[in-house]
Amino acid sequence: MSGTSGRLYDALDRAADRMLRASVFERLAIATASTALALLIGVSIVAAVGYDPVQFITSLIEGALGGRSAIARTLRFSTLFILTGVAVAVAFRAGVFNIGVQGQFVVGGITTIMSIIWLAPLLPEGVVGGVALIIIGTLAGTLAGGAYGALPGALKAYADANVIITTIMLNFIATGVVGWLVQNPLRGEGNAAPNTERIPEYVSFPRIVFDSSGFSIIGLGIALATVVVIYVVMERSRFGYDMVTSGHQESAATYSGVSAKQTVVSTMALSGMVAGIAGAVFAIMIQGYYTDPSGIGTYGFDAIAVSLLAANNPLGIIPAGLLFGGLESAGSHIGIYTDVPVQLIDGVIGLVILFVAVPELFRMAAARTGLGGDR
Amino acid sequence: MNVAEFAKENKIGIAGVAVLLAAAAIAAVAMDLPLWDIVTVGFVERSFQAATPIALTAIGGLYAEKSGVFNIGVEGFMIFGAATAATMMWIISGGDPGQSDIWLAILASMLVSLVLAILFAILMIRYEADQIVAGLALWFIGLGFGPFMAVLVWDSRNSPSLESINDLTIPVLADIPVLGPILFDTSPLVIATAILAVVAWKVLNDTKYGYWIQAAGENPEALDTAGVNVTRVRYAAVIFSGVMAGLGGAVLLAQAGSFTGSGQTMVGGRGWIGIVAYLFGNYNPLGAGVAALVFGGLDMLQIQLQTVGIEVPNRLVNLFPYVGVIIVLSVWGSTRTPSAVGETYESEE
Repeated sequence: MSGTSGRLYDALDRAADRMLRASVFERLAIATASTALALLIGVSIVAAVGYDPVQFITSLIEGALGGRSAIARTLRFSTLFILTGVAVAVAFRAGVFNIGVQGQFVVGGITTIMSIIWLAPLLPEGVVGGVALIIIGTLAGTLAGGAYGALPGALKAYADANVIITTIMLNFIATGVVGWLVQNPLRGEGNAAPNTERIPEYVSFPRIVFDSSGFSIIGLGIALATVVVIYVVMERSRFGYDMVTSGHQESAATYSGVSAKQTVVSTMALSGMVAGIAGAVFAIMIQGYYTDPSGIGTYGFDAIAVSLLAANNPLGIIPAGLLFGGLESAGSHIGIYTDVPVQLIDGVIGLVILFVAVPELFRMAAARTGLGGDR
Repeated sequence: MNVAEFAKENKIGIAGVAVLLAAAAIAAVAMDLPLWDIVTVGFVERSFQAATPIALTAIGGLYAEKSGVFNIGVEGFMIFGAATAATMMWIISGGDPGQSDIWLAILASMLVSLVLAILFAILMIRYEADQIVAGLALWFIGLGFGPFMAVLVWDSRNSPSLESINDLTIPVLADIPVLGPILFDTSPLVIATAILAVVAWKVLNDTKYGYWIQAAGENPEALDTAGVNVTRVRYAAVIFSGVMAGLGGAVLLAQAGSFTGSGQTMVGGRGWIGIVAYLFGNYNPLGAGVAALVFGGLDMLQIQLQTVGIEVPNRLVNLFPYVGVIIVLSVWGSTRTPSAVGETYESEE
């Protein structure tokens, strides 16, 4: 019996491996073509509605890479896109459509901030207390994000509720409830704006390499470390293997004794935990307090594009996250220095996802033009 | 199909609505709430209006899914529908819209939705797009370009106050107590949607085209053998679903009277709720309409709670429909989807 399942595993392993290797180039080509086509459409729209496309492209590049502060801003966004992108990739890789990363990110973030605020008086001030609070806050945020992810996982496993829809609803609920919390019970004393108190000054990442507010190389380090951990878990551990097989080969996984139900719950929990880490990094590194989530960036949504662009591969998330960090950074530059509405960038991101979803479009185009079309 | 058959085929949905209503009534009595102050004629009328965009979207979505294509891009179509209706109303009227401009704007918005739906259908059917990812993409494209249009026209994500549709009062009938104000003194869009739901139900169950759509989703090979072009049927259903969702967005705008493009836009998940409405209604246009009404009612509960003096913060009451969706999906999650949904079909000619 164990011999049979062992052989089955080997066969699946080889098949998955071949798939991965054979199509890496193709996936890269599709990702590049999708991004290029989406940007081309974006630029055409800019031109069509009467703005200067050349100036648009120049400010796009300037906003992403023009100078030290632009690069810091790009890396700041990239940090968040890498983390949220990995959160999405964990779930998508296992065939679970977790669209709720935004909600898990928000729940993780507010938990981080509140646990730091509540525990700060109990710990010594200064570096030691700061480090301790960062660790506690991040752990709390990770657990809260994981729990908020496990909920729709459990609803899927035990009540067969469609994950796409429950996670989208839970995004609205997280935004609404946290928005209400920061307006009322958790509002900092004497705050005019609907914000929590600030976390103490000493609870922050050190500014090494880049002296920029809102970006620390430590945050990027946490993101990259998370990528490596998730890569090892997904690609090299039994748990990750079970996750991926049960997503794509449910019957094979069941035969080898993997409970599909438990796997959905743990997949969603792991995905939510990574989203929680993203929320903690956002809270500590960028905000320093929490505010109405309807006003913060939609990192959890854009992360879907990041993950798809990377073909849901944890390592691929790094370049995809950098690209999106650049786009977002360029977006805020464009918002300040040009008249082109920044919403255009959101639309372009949507187009990237659309084209990634239609590989056949590029295969056919490639076959027509005779470029490496092997179909 | 007669009423008895309808009841038989929609046992789950009907039981669900009954249980929900009973639970609400018991809760109200147990908590000593003035039930008849909450369930007023005005509340029912507002619930119908809130249900209209959801119902339109649901009817379109269920046609697509019945034909074998899961169009989860309806939220995106709704955003485009609302944004084009708003900008068109502004442009057509030169900045001072009246009642007739609303109808022109709805028409224009449907035309734009038609073009988008054709492009989307080509990607879904001809180029075999991943239906889930492409649908999500359309939502994001809507979230970007919807507010983008508003910014181009008004320099802001939100429009100034435009015009909202007037009620249509049918003389004499409108004076009938209770039913009069609900059915004969309400937005013409509500009445049109009710008629559309009945027609959609008839067409799906009692006409050749309805059978084709069902067969395209259940047994495309058989339909192909019978000499009907499966691809064409699916194109028609997907394009119909896009136009209906666009219309849903336009109707939402016509009722609200201004466009909101901040956050998740004024559509705020109604497209997703529409999908749940047809699942809950078990792929039946009438069932979907009833389910939409349940969600519309949840949406409008806020005003009722306020009038009877129950202090629940708006921000939290606004979440009722979303919580309702999760409960509905968890309790009646396992609906039977058409067997060939999500599979591309290639004729073997």
